[in-house]
Amino acid sequence: MSEMNSNSKNEKNEKLFEMQKEQGPILEVKDLKVDFTTGDKRAVHAVRDASFNVYPGQWVAIVGESGSGKSTSAMAVLGLLPGTGHVVGGSIKLEGEEISHYTRKQYEQVLGDKMGLVPQDPMSNLNPVWRIGTQVEEALKANHMDISHEKRSKLAKALAGSEVAVKSEDDETFIGSKELPDLLKAAQAALSEAGVTGDKAKKKMDYFTAEWVPGSETRWRVADDLIKAGVSDDKAWAIAKQYVLGSTMTDRISGLLEEAGLPDAATRARQYPHEFSGGMLQRALIAIGLACRPDLLIADEPTSALDVTVQKRILDHLHALTDELGTAVLFITHDLGLAAERAQQIVVMYKGQVVESGPSLEVLQHPQHPYTKRLVAAAPSLASQRIISAKEHGENAEALMEHHVKGEETLEKSEHIITVSHLTKEFKLPRKKEMFKAVDDVSFSVKRGTTLAIVGESGSGKSTVANMVLKLLKPTSGTVTYEGKDISGFEGKTLLDFRRHVQPVFQNPYGSLDPMYSIYRSIEEPLRIHGIGDKKSREKRVRELLDLVEMPQSVMQRYPNELSGGQRQRIAVARAMALNPDVIVCDEAVSALDVLVQDQVLRLLNDLQAERGLSYLFITHDLAVVRQIADEVVVMQKGRLVEHATTDEVFDHPQKQYTKDLLDAIPGGHLQLGLD
Amino acid sequence: MSDTTKDTTMADSRVLPGQERYVAAPDAVKLQEVDSVDESAPATSMWADAWRTLRKNPLFIVSAILILCVIFVALFPGVFTRQNPNFCQLEHSLEKGSPGHPFGYDTQGCDVFTRTVYGTRTSLSVGILTTLLVMVVGSLIGALAGFFGGWIDAVLSRFTDIFMAIPMLLGAIVVLQMFRTSGSVWKIVLVLTLFGWTQTARISRGAVMETKNLEFNTASTALGSTPWRNLMRHILPNSMASIIVVTTTSLGTYIVSEATLSFLGIGLPTTTVSWGGDISNAQTILRTDPSVLFYPSAALAITVLAFIMMGDAVKDALDPKSRTA
Repeated sequence: MSEMNSNSKNEKNEKLFEMQKEQGPILEVKDLKVDFTTGDKRAVHAVRDASFNVYPGQWVAIVGESGSGKSTSAMAVLGLLPGTGHVVGGSIKLEGEEISHYTRKQYEQVLGDKMGLVPQDPMSNLNPVWRIGTQVEEALKANHMDISHEKRSKLAKALAGSEVAVKSEDDETFIGSKELPDLLKAAQAALSEAGVTGDKAKKKMDYFTAEWVPGSETRWRVADDLIKAGVSDDKAWAIAKQYVLGSTMTDRISGLLEEAGLPDAATRARQYPHEFSGGMLQRALIAIGLACRPDLLIADEPTSALDVTVQKRILDHLHALTDELGTAVLFITHDLGLAAERAQQIVVMYKGQVVESGPSLEVLQHPQHPYTKRLVAAAPSLASQRIISAKEHGENAEALMEHHVKGEETLEKSEHIITVSHLTKEFKLPRKKEMFKAVDDVSFSVKRGTTLAIVGESGSGKSTVANMVLKLLKPTSGTVTYEGKDISGFEGKTLLDFRRHVQPVFQNPYGSLDPMYSIYRSIEEPLRIHGIGDKKSREKRVRELLDLVEMPQSVMQRYPNELSGGQRQRIAVARAMALNPDVIVCDEAVSALDVLVQDQVLRLLNDLQAERGLSYLFITHDLAVVRQIADEVVVMQKGRLVEHATTDEVFDHPQKQYTKDLLDAIPGGHLQLGLD
Repeated sequence: MSDTTKDTTMADSRVLPGQERYVAAPDAVKLQEVDSVDESAPATSMWADAWRTLRKNPLFIVSAILILCVIFVALFPGVFTRQNPNFCQLEHSLEKGSPGHPFGYDTQGCDVFTRTVYGTRTSLSVGILTTLLVMVVGSLIGALAGFFGGWIDAVLSRFTDIFMAIPMLLGAIVVLQMFRTSGSVWKIVLVLTLFGWTQTARISRGAVMETKNLEFNTASTALGSTPWRNLMRHILPNSMASIIVVTTTSLGTYIVSEATLSFLGIGLPTTTVSWGGDISNAQTILRTDPSVLFYPSAALAITVLAFIMMGDAVKDALDPKSRTA
């Protein structure tokens, strides 16, 4: 992309707006109703009267929590409703044509060609026994794509028109890998002929080599690049016409993958999905979704399974790509910050209905519907400070620490309740000789009554640290001390005692409760193990604990499968609290939860801390959450401790590049909010 | 692309038709309290859930009625016939059915109806006892292998493989040769268990290994629970569903195996009334009087069918894959 000054950018925006207005919406959904039929023939209304528009080249985000009907709406548009779902009312117009009554066959005509999909889970959406390249090829073949010419949307054509004068069908021919060396040679010759020499010429050539990707760059771009480098118009076009003759299937496949941001695409195309990381798989899916140059791309939580920094890179790339191609994107997400940052238009859904829609910043800054207000207030990526418990209002985190350290009985005890020093854990990898260092020389300590957060992306070793602190895993070297005593020496009675004081809350609220145990039995279990009280007093305690986590006592007789993720997590907190611990280790305890529920659990944890002086070791990948709960932060990367400071310091003055990248990747982190 | 925010700011000064600000009437959608509990729904455990699924399954209803009838016959054969199954009079040999003797007589002049009724007990007890024993032995060995892993798993798994490699009937024939005279059903039960526990062991090993890695075990350990307690309180109960599914389905096959062994003459001696023995006796006169063969065979088929249907229904209700977490 060429740089433009803000003036021409303004002009371009103006033009874009006019074009969008002239062409009209590419997708028009009006009063859409979708029902699912349950086993006993009852209709469940998944979507009610949803209306929204998508204009060419626009990013529109549908935001909502799980079960809000956001994905269902998107699938209805694609004609891919799962199971018993069907459209029962309203209209879906694609480029002015009603498609809601389309048959499977008619949909096949539209899918790929006019609408593309980037699905949610990259792991399950690629066939593990096919090469990546083959899967891209399949998409191209199924839609009879012309592999040697670029296909641009009307919008992109109109917008690009200002940059290059001539652009017939021929000028959209791709570079072929066969002709590339000759093309580069000719370009070099043309440059020296035009009087561009030395360093400047070398720089230009480097630029050409990087930019002229076979199967992705077109003839007019080559000509354009040459002209910009100083070659005369006629000469540039002559070279472009002579050497840019169209690409082969292999060229096109690697061109598409390269476009999606996969380095070394030609090699990658021959690999299998298991050789790719999650982020790379998602890029491959983007390449497939865009392979047939659809006018509308539907992206269903395309990056939710990925680390934030990877998410940012992929979305940046997708944004640039769709801008250039003039592709409209319907973006489904649960993350309000992400939606506001990426989309021009936001549609907020709740319980199958659209509760609010409009230009994204306006919706975010002046939310009007009570639900949107609630959502904005709870979004961790938009929150700017630590949750202050109702009981501790007015006291800042510093004072909070002070208070607990100098508290009545804690005086004689050490200030640090948990101290980790030079902790290292090595794992033996299958089929490899050398040991893999999951945790490498990590030291930190948790102050009594405060929260220390360990942040890092997947594979940073943060959960391994948590498991060693919990004495569920033996460190290779280094020590963990609790109340000044090395926990490696604990066994039998001392271990039981340690377990009583240090309790975990795990990530997966669906896995951490035994499905065969009633809620009562689950919460009672720690009391039983430690032989506390009799049947009657235990029941009383369970009732107290349920009150503590704000769950009705009637859930005692229920089973985990009847509760939502957030409710289960609150039960897990109740179980952890049963023995009156001093320390709770939260391993991604809120990561699987919807924003509102996440906010609720965080507030609960915070209130408990304020009331009981608990210390938390909080493991998370989400820096946004850290800001809400932590007093101190430890940033980990690839098993090493990168940065350790107070939360405010880390957020305001990050010292290391990695921390800066992490902070930068928080979606919506830079947006200013005005809650009214 | 760092300036996307700027783009949006500029774009939202002018709004495209159809994208104007829209806010639903606050009353149109009732805002729920965040994550409230639906207290109206009845509480269900996995077993209660399974029972509800079962109750609606016609396969289960039909098989349950049949099995109840068979059990009743096995417990109280005297209700159906006053005759002694071993009271045979040669003068009645191969007589056709008559009032009081609806199925007629066999070669030895024994009442076929009476023998079929009394044979139920043998077949049923072999089936049920073998199933129970297989369940205990198989799941215990499998659970130990799956839970402890390492060399214990290696040893137990190879041991299982060895037994699996022996064809059940062949093994049973060899072993039963040694106890030809005993008339007790226990010898059949033990032999069938000896060669039948392997499948259950494998299933339970798999189920235990799967359950072992679930987070609630780690949670329990962190609460201070011992490994042994975890196995007994969490892992085994959670693996039970898979084990029950295989064993109920194979109950039918144990009954057939008993009949086969008795048919081959190495099962129960002729003094013990059993369907297999009767079928064996009837084969010689198959061409002249097929009805003698028909009745015990039909009883056997119906019983086995009922148990297999029951196994299928239980599988549908308990199958871990079809169960939502």
